[in-house]
Amino acid sequence: MRRLAPIALGLVLLWLVGYPLLVTFGAALAGGGGPDAPLGRFARAPAEWLALWRSFWISVASVAGAALLGIPLGFLFERRDFPGKALLGALVALPVALPPLVGVIAFLFLFGESGFLSRAVMALLGRSEPPWRLAGPGAILLVHAYSMYVYFYLFTRAGLARRDGALEEAAATLGASPRKVLWRITLPMLSPAFAGAALLCFMTSLGSFSAPYLFGGSWRVMTTQIVASKLNGDLGLAQVETVALAAVAVVSLLGLRRLEPRRRLTGTVRGLAPRPRPLASSWARWGACAAATVLTLILLSPHLTLVLISLVPFGTWTLEPFPPVLATSNYTGLLSSAESWRPIASSLWMAAAATLVALVLGFLAARRAARGGAGGRFFEGLLALPWALPGTVFALALASTFSVHAPWLGRIVLVGTPWILPLAYVVRALPLTGRSALAGLAQLDSSLDEAASTLGAGPWRRFARITLPLLRPSLVAGAGLAFMTALGDYVTSIVLYTFDNRPISMAIDGILRRNDLGLAAVYGVFLMLASSAAFLAWGRERQAG
Amino acid sequence: MASMASILRSNSPFWRRLGFLGLGAAMLAGLGCGGSGRQRLVLYSPHGPELLEVVEKRYEELHPELDVIWLDMGSQDVFDRLLSEKANPQADVWFGGPDTILAQGAAQGLLAPFRPSWAEAVAPESQHPENLYFGLYRTAPVLAWNSKLVAPADAPADWEDLLAPRFQGKVLLRDPLASGTLRTLFGSILARSVAETGSPERGFGWLARLDTQTREYVLNPALMMEKLARGEGLVTVWELTDMLWQKQRGRPLEFGFPRSGTPVIDDSIGLVARAPHAELAKAFIEWIGSPEAQRLAATASFRLPARQDLPAAELPTWAQKVLGDLVPAPVDGQLLTRESAGWMRRWDQEIRGKGGSWAAKP
Repeated sequence: MRRLAPIALGLVLLWLVGYPLLVTFGAALAGGGGPDAPLGRFARAPAEWLALWRSFWISVASVAGAALLGIPLGFLFERRDFPGKALLGALVALPVALPPLVGVIAFLFLFGESGFLSRAVMALLGRSEPPWRLAGPGAILLVHAYSMYVYFYLFTRAGLARRDGALEEAAATLGASPRKVLWRITLPMLSPAFAGAALLCFMTSLGSFSAPYLFGGSWRVMTTQIVASKLNGDLGLAQVETVALAAVAVVSLLGLRRLEPRRRLTGTVRGLAPRPRPLASSWARWGACAAATVLTLILLSPHLTLVLISLVPFGTWTLEPFPPVLATSNYTGLLSSAESWRPIASSLWMAAAATLVALVLGFLAARRAARGGAGGRFFEGLLALPWALPGTVFALALASTFSVHAPWLGRIVLVGTPWILPLAYVVRALPLTGRSALAGLAQLDSSLDEAASTLGAGPWRRFARITLPLLRPSLVAGAGLAFMTALGDYVTSIVLYTFDNRPISMAIDGILRRNDLGLAAVYGVFLMLASSAAFLAWGRERQAG
Repeated sequence: MASMASILRSNSPFWRRLGFLGLGAAMLAGLGCGGSGRQRLVLYSPHGPELLEVVEKRYEELHPELDVIWLDMGSQDVFDRLLSEKANPQADVWFGGPDTILAQGAAQGLLAPFRPSWAEAVAPESQHPENLYFGLYRTAPVLAWNSKLVAPADAPADWEDLLAPRFQGKVLLRDPLASGTLRTLFGSILARSVAETGSPERGFGWLARLDTQTREYVLNPALMMEKLARGEGLVTVWELTDMLWQKQRGRPLEFGFPRSGTPVIDDSIGLVARAPHAELAKAFIEWIGSPEAQRLAATASFRLPARQDLPAAELPTWAQKVLGDLVPAPVDGQLLTRESAGWMRRWDQEIRGKGGSWAAKP
């Protein structure tokens, strides 16, 4: 039984993660390698290699940008205590709750050439031409760093919450300066958390579509190149491009693993994190509160813009710096029909169910991966793979894998049923729940578990009383991210949704195609509220625990 | 098992929350998946709720035993979905999209032959030779501009005006790869060049000059409209039906038909291959092309009938006006189908963003 369980788990993961990949690879290679076959045309086109290179470097730069924003924020909110910290700390995580497409459009209203900032600068300097254009790699990078720093922020906080304070105290007692403690003790202890966040950021930006799609224009990365090929009816080439992108993802995954520290730095004494330090003077406390509030407002300005857009009746805001008419007509229009509530209910149940399943699967796989060895690396690889394919491609592969009835091959008909979309959410959430569990496990102090075992506690009891409470910050962070990602998912939903489970993102998509930005923003606000609620609940959970 | 009980007894808020999450998910799932018990007819369509809701309501009145279900998505997304569901089709009718995309679907074996009785009433070029799809509505690229910023006297009257100095850097276009409307326009310009000079070079030269006038190729249509309304650009080329819709809803935009003519696009319909309810689908296709349904679509949501046997007097006023203003440009459809993908690839690689250096070539 003990031997069979990991094998069964491995098979389930292979079935969900590996199968769609294999189907895509097979389809791409089926064309053969002749000069006129898609493979040959891909190899000879400099534009293709350029797009691949851009995908790679923009992802590396996105990781750097996200780390620079997210890690200091994580430290600020986890190590200092000031009034309003719980609320502000949850709000800072909300960029991840910015819905796809509408959220990026909100960015445009802020920083675009006809946005608030640009029009303010034009008014100040008395210029008639916008001072900049929000386009090209800079704009993509800005959006990526903004929407992905949350991974670093959450993982840093979870890592700090779990760290062993005794080591820091010991170093300080021995005369190490605070800076030295930070560099030699705290940051190395957090390295599993950083590695996890970096991996997620890298994979997300490699497969990122909204930002390059809206801001890239003719500056193509691989995801937009795939779409361009498909739009031009060249399906073979699109498949080869997909495989090339997936290959870059897999190679980078292996490379990133090499960068991970070999040494495991876990506390061996108490495994307890020190409580956040309250700031000494009340001036400092309220100063920190004010600074954090301003920072939060800046970070939430796209959200506020989205709320503003949702209050603008159709077609009334054009050349004015500020909307001339604000009304709730978009809201009343949407709330009055019962049909409008269905996408909200669908999104909520699918995201909740997918989060639950991904949490359990991700935890089990991470526990196996944490034991190391070849088997461990296998599970770790499986956990990261779902993001090796861009979302749309993964969804198409999943759809064609599960549109055939061949149970002996593990293929059953799921297309057209309401089950395939939550299943896709589960697989897409696995890297999030798995990675955060893995980061938690890597930091776990095994001596507590051993002590409990010596004292006669059984495996279940040790799990419930020792492992789980210690892992809770990591698991909750992973679950929160998974829930938000599933709730706002656009790219897989568009391929897999059915009439019975049309999610919010598809309602937004439909409205956007009618060019009704205000109404789409209302749904966007709903998405934001649901995600925020999940995160505020997380804040309370941490206090209770 | 005693240890399982200890988990449950541990009374941790984490477990309780997890339990609530599961319970909530199950309840919402029950709420979301209520079936109607009627037989379903499934439409995949890019038409948008303003037409689909009307069609659903009327067709269900005529056939109370049916539940008409539509999935509303972009025309390229319809193609993607049908392709991924090819082994096990879920849809019955491919309702709408430019004929160029349905042609791609036909090449992939996604459509089944069915010839409705109204097929005779549409123009010969709107009928697929193997009866895989037929033109149902007609639309066309038109010139559109921001009516707050462009005075009536300055408004473009023909394609040539897009190259005028007053619109230098002020032309906004949707990304031609992503837009069937612009593809058709570009194709018709190149096809005319072939017809008149034997090669597409003159047409590419014109497109290169248009590129130098273009501020931005916008991928997303909603964003494109916002940018135009907010004055980031002054003029664009847009699709007729949507333009009528936008204007009616009060957006400060104006449009006009180019004097020299505009290529007409067939918005088509076809029967999905191995459709789950093929007979119901055929009956629906038969009805949607009937004079009653064509008039309904024209009145409710600005769809210009493809049928040529409807008396103009029975159409709404907007349609009568459009039929009076629209000058159809002759297009060699076969040439376009054959060459379009190659032309667009060449445009994408050689002209997009490089129009200046292209136009400077000897």
